[in-house]
Amino acid sequence: MSKQRACENCQAYRKEHLIRLGIGIDQYDYIIALAGNPNTGKSTVFNNLTGLRQHTGNWPGKTVTRAEGGYSFAGKQYKLVDLPGTYSLLSTSKEEEVARDFILFGRPDVTVIVADATRLERNLNLVLQILEITDKAVLCLNLMDEAERNHITINERTLSKALGIPVVTAVARQKKGMDVLINTIENVATGKYMCKPHRVKSFSPKLDHAVALLVEKLSKEFKNIPNLKWVALRLLEGDQRIIEAVRTKELGQLGEDLKSA
Amino acid sequence: MYDHQEIENDEIISLTNTLRWELGIDFHDKIIESIYADATKIAKQSIRVEDAKNSTIFDQKVDSIITSKWFGFPIMFLLLAIVFWITVAGANIPSSWLAALLLDTVHPFLKNIAAQIGMPWWLDGVLIDGAYMAFAWVVSVMLPPMAIFFPLFTLLEDLGYLPRVAFNMDSLFRKAGAHGKQALTMSMGFGCNAAGVVATRVIDSPRERLIAIITNNFSLCNGRWPTQILIATIFIGSLVPPHYAGLVSAAAVVSIAVLGIVFSLLVSWGLSKSILRGEASTFSLELPPYRPPRILQTLYTSLIDRTMLVLWRAIVFAIPAGIVIWLVANIYIGELSLAEYFIDWSNPFALYFGLNGVILLAYIIAIPANEIVIPTILMLTVINSGLTGIGEGAGVMFELDSVADTKRILTAGGWTLLTAVNLMLFSLLHNPCSTTLYTIYKETKSMKWTTISALLPLTLGFIVCFFVTQLWLLFSS
Amino acid sequence: MELILNPITSLIIGTVFLILLSWILWPRKGLISLWSKRSKNTKQKLQEDALKFIFDCEYKHKSCGLHTISGNMNISTNKAAKVLGQLQSIGLIVMKEDQIRLTDAGRSDALKIIRIHRIWERYLADETAIDNLEWHQGADSQEHLMSLKEVDVLAATMGNPVFDPHGDPIPTTNGELPTYQGQSLSSLKEGDIARITHIEDEPSTIYAQLVALDLHPGMEVYIMDVTDENIQFAANGKECILNILFASNITVEKLSKIEPTQKKYQTLSSLNVGDKAQVIGISPKCRGQERIRLMDLGIVPGTEISAVLKSAFGDPTAYKIMGATIAIRKKQADNIYIKSMLNKNEQTASMRELSGVS
Repeated sequence: MSKQRACENCQAYRKEHLIRLGIGIDQYDYIIALAGNPNTGKSTVFNNLTGLRQHTGNWPGKTVTRAEGGYSFAGKQYKLVDLPGTYSLLSTSKEEEVARDFILFGRPDVTVIVADATRLERNLNLVLQILEITDKAVLCLNLMDEAERNHITINERTLSKALGIPVVTAVARQKKGMDVLINTIENVATGKYMCKPHRVKSFSPKLDHAVALLVEKLSKEFKNIPNLKWVALRLLEGDQRIIEAVRTKELGQLGEDLKSA
Repeated sequence: MYDHQEIENDEIISLTNTLRWELGIDFHDKIIESIYADATKIAKQSIRVEDAKNSTIFDQKVDSIITSKWFGFPIMFLLLAIVFWITVAGANIPSSWLAALLLDTVHPFLKNIAAQIGMPWWLDGVLIDGAYMAFAWVVSVMLPPMAIFFPLFTLLEDLGYLPRVAFNMDSLFRKAGAHGKQALTMSMGFGCNAAGVVATRVIDSPRERLIAIITNNFSLCNGRWPTQILIATIFIGSLVPPHYAGLVSAAAVVSIAVLGIVFSLLVSWGLSKSILRGEASTFSLELPPYRPPRILQTLYTSLIDRTMLVLWRAIVFAIPAGIVIWLVANIYIGELSLAEYFIDWSNPFALYFGLNGVILLAYIIAIPANEIVIPTILMLTVINSGLTGIGEGAGVMFELDSVADTKRILTAGGWTLLTAVNLMLFSLLHNPCSTTLYTIYKETKSMKWTTISALLPLTLGFIVCFFVTQLWLLFSS
Repeated sequence: MELILNPITSLIIGTVFLILLSWILWPRKGLISLWSKRSKNTKQKLQEDALKFIFDCEYKHKSCGLHTISGNMNISTNKAAKVLGQLQSIGLIVMKEDQIRLTDAGRSDALKIIRIHRIWERYLADETAIDNLEWHQGADSQEHLMSLKEVDVLAATMGNPVFDPHGDPIPTTNGELPTYQGQSLSSLKEGDIARITHIEDEPSTIYAQLVALDLHPGMEVYIMDVTDENIQFAANGKECILNILFASNITVEKLSKIEPTQKKYQTLSSLNVGDKAQVIGISPKCRGQERIRLMDLGIVPGTEISAVLKSAFGDPTAYKIMGATIAIRKKQADNIYIKSMLNKNEQTASMRELSGVS
């Protein structure tokens, strides 16, 4: 709490620069994906940043398609895409497919993962899965007030170090922590903060071997793809979208685009 | 034409398949396990929970009372009874205000204007007596109870109490092949079936969700309570001495509602054993920590998301229905209006079910909202029995302040105690209103389930009415 | 107004009408479903079934003659000969004396049918609640109705599965299939540890028995004793004795482990309120969406779990898992294996109590 207040005086605090753009966003400099488990206040964060009143209420599964909005900060336009809330990205449900494909093929500049601070361990499952796909991410620990009430203390620095991405604490319902979040997104998007995302080292000897074989083959065809291990894993899971992408060279295109960007 | 790369890439896919066969069936689990293992490690490093016992001790104490064998159900019934009582008692006043405003003030005012600008009688009838009246009726009857019921219900939900109800009731619903959360969507259905159907989104298992959607109509919604109360007061309350009348008619209405719950469970069981047998089914129910409710947000959520949405849909459907109602009463072929033709034609058939042509026609043309069934019945009865000097003219729905006058009209229309009982049963067991049907279609995106949701209760209604009537006639003759 | 029919007549007519209606519409046994079942038994179906069977023989290096075919397909020898004649005339098989071989075209057709069959079984297992005894029958009728394209679309939505729920590999669209491996359970020796890779679903009487014993692909078995007639082993935390004949319908893959992971499992449903345990795993019996759901909740090996609350009727029970309180039903908790986190003495005591109950 005191950290946030201190930051109001520091130079990075430029709240007056935040302009909420609502839905009307045609041109943007950065594209930001918003991911997270259901019921973590993801939509509240989305609404806080965009000024929209996208309502999800208490009924889960409402956003199967993704909601979009935008804001402008420090002279840059950000397009925000709210992905459906999911527990995982590894199974075959429609929601998970939408979220998974956007993080890989939508190529967001930053993926903001909203997590429930009171159930962090369960939420970390999704966080780690996202970090397998993307390099640039920010973890937003929401519901900090409830965590405090339940006597849960989270060492953000240790967590940030272990995950290799910045961690921001927030109480989205009271609009606390949003300024820091906006700053952090900017830092990651512009490359001021370099993420070193945590990647799972080993699954099982047999699986590691299979992944290594595939990665070797893939790396000959597709250079410049940062997360070939994830692509290999998805191939082994039989993900149709990835199979198509490998077959039609769309994946190669993805690598080309990343190089030119 | 195959280029080199495409062949190479097909090789990758082929290699993938070989690897997948070698990996066997459980490697997907291995991936998730590895990720969770890392998650646990990271969580251990960075999360500290201080005296976990103390923090949850309040929740545990509350839970141990709420889910106990002895207190669990009394507390639940008490709370639900309070919610219903506040709804019924609280809705009366704004309802009569709205009725006074929309029906008794604005309607004559509009008629007046129409007369002054010389609007042709048929246009005036279609627009003001038809479309406007249906709209006004739906708003004044539907809005107040929903605006009270939904926020109260949402408050209980926010508090964290409703998941505990589902937790306690699950055992019963499991035996009916349903999900414990169906207890909640069922209660929501007592407010409005369309809202109840939307609320089934909380049930995340496909089969149980469909069951909850199809059976939601067995919850007596607030559009049907007034019908039940009116008919019970007129025909059942009058069977006993006056000072018991209120009690007996209330008991009759409550038993209809309870019968609805019984049907809901029986039909759930039947569905889970027959046509829904193959739908996938899972169960999990999170019991969130108790939270102080956020009053303002709750008001906003329930007003915008539930009340307004449902009301809007109801109005959209009610307006065309109002037009149709006016037209059937005012288009004449020869001597008789369309309505009279239908009533005369369907009467012999309807009588086997203890109903009559008026009731059947009213349920067909008043499909958009159960709220306008009684006004339509009164209007049609007046037309059909040739009474004069009552109501507002052909095709204009009306209700009377005096119960005795209403009774006089209905008896003139040939109504007996048997008709009344069957109307009460049919009001419980018939197709959902078109708002609900549309909502079912939107939620399931399936014509099949929408049709089943419509025909299943209707068929049941006819079967029940038929046997009740015939047995009644058998034993009374 | 008077009714023309008296109540008794009406009641009789009404009742008869109801009976007629349910006779026509009754699921699975009504006229409509019987009629739709009957119309499927065509010439094409017989041909396809025969192709499938011949392929299976080739795949498992078993000999295949007229009599085995007629016996397996449950048709007369004459009829089988007729079907084989048809297959030969359209160039799908060649017959030399009593040996029947598939041509390349025949093999590709057989693979196509097998792909549809196995993908559909997998669909029934993962995406529906159809009982495992009915998977085979469902797929048997579906394999003649679907096109390969439709099946590819279906497979894509399920993550292109490569195994069917019995553990058999599913051929790819191009007709690739791994070479047959594995040995039958009956060939194992005492002390061996193996994993079930396949349970043969035909004949259905034996399959029903194996399902009743709760045996599923993916389970680890530990052989305790082998005699001429019976084989005794531990699987799923329980001890089973199986006739050698039945055991030969189970295919296993031998594991090079010395110690079984756990001879006996305790299930989550046996955990008392207030007690803590560690998850060992979810039974392979629990699959599809149900399994995904449980894993999403954090029920994976190593997770700490404690029972916190029983509902008013005693079922479901709420458990604390990774900071959240989640209620699941007893039937689900039966499929979750745990290791009690009590101290040694209490543990053995509770185990004794447990085995006493079961």
